[in-house]
Amino acid sequence: MFDRDDGALDRVIRQLRQPVSIDPALDARVMEEIAADAAPGRLATPRPRFPLRGARWPWLAAAAVLGAILIARPWSAGGDTDALNAFQFVLVAPQASSVSLVGDFNDWDPARSPMQTAQGIWATTVPLPPGRYRYAFLVNGVEWRADPGAPRAGDDEFGTPSSVITVGGKGS
Amino acid sequence: MNQPLGIDKVEASDAELVRRVRTGDIRAYGTLVARYRDRLGRYAVHMLGDREDAEEALQDSFVRAYRSLERCDDPARFGAWLYGILVNRCRTTGARAARRRRMFVRDADALNGATHADQADRVEWSDTVNRALARLAPEYREAFLLKHVEDLEYEEMGRLTGAGVSALKMRVKRAREQLQRFLKEAEHV
Repeated sequence: MFDRDDGALDRVIRQLRQPVSIDPALDARVMEEIAADAAPGRLATPRPRFPLRGARWPWLAAAAVLGAILIARPWSAGGDTDALNAFQFVLVAPQASSVSLVGDFNDWDPARSPMQTAQGIWATTVPLPPGRYRYAFLVNGVEWRADPGAPRAGDDEFGTPSSVITVGGKGS
Repeated sequence: MNQPLGIDKVEASDAELVRRVRTGDIRAYGTLVARYRDRLGRYAVHMLGDREDAEEALQDSFVRAYRSLERCDDPARFGAWLYGILVNRCRTTGARAARRRRMFVRDADALNGATHADQADRVEWSDTVNRALARLAPEYREAFLLKHVEDLEYEEMGRLTGAGVSALKMRVKRAREQLQRFLKEAEHV
């Protein structure tokens, strides 16, 4: 590829081909931002957006902050009529070892809606008929978290934080 | 829906992951992000010469790609499609940042394990390379990086940049000539 006099260029190319370390927290920032996107008119509440610039935290700090960001996102799936009311709940929690979605719709039973993870993104999908539901995330089997971007339930009679999602017709 | 944890890391192709994202599995996109983060990041870092700008461009490209995923006509070539978005994003950022002082990036990983003398040499060489690269016109730097660092064929480069093959060959040739000259100048400083 190179002329005989191109030894220096060859060395430049080898240098530039060295791996470059990109902050792994970038993954979580991307996922948090896209999870904040919503199908128009179907999101329970507007989601906060991460600033692109200035979010330069070290990984642990980012994980700690992102661990507190809980996003419930509705999706329509396929063209299945039943699936139109399937809501995907997503939690960005890189440091969690387990997460379950609990709420009125599953009798607050962690075993019924365990969330699956990939790259620290926890998600599960549940069908929800129209109605108003309280829900929360159970992290590591012990820590209850409400969704900070969703309305808080007004009557936490058990003393644990929870959020509320209202599923109605169009625009809920 | 109940799939083994970590299955994305070892099995899923780009096409399969894109299909899953399109059907509502947001986690699959996390796997794509992790898969392409470092490779695309290298291009952005070298193209922009500033790690903060590079990470911002990279993050924005991933988000734009997600929002435009329906326009990815060939999911098996998701990586190439994503590359095109990043190339365009870097052009925008590069134009905006052209008047800012460039901050050169030294990769700490490349220096690990080196003796102090080796490390000093490597740092000096890394700075020399980055300065030379920064002196190239953006279109020359872009062509050089895509051809010689990312190892793309000219036809693929044409698809990414919108430039013709002959124009790209000319840019790579000029970039090589100019880099050689800049390196010689650096030797005599």
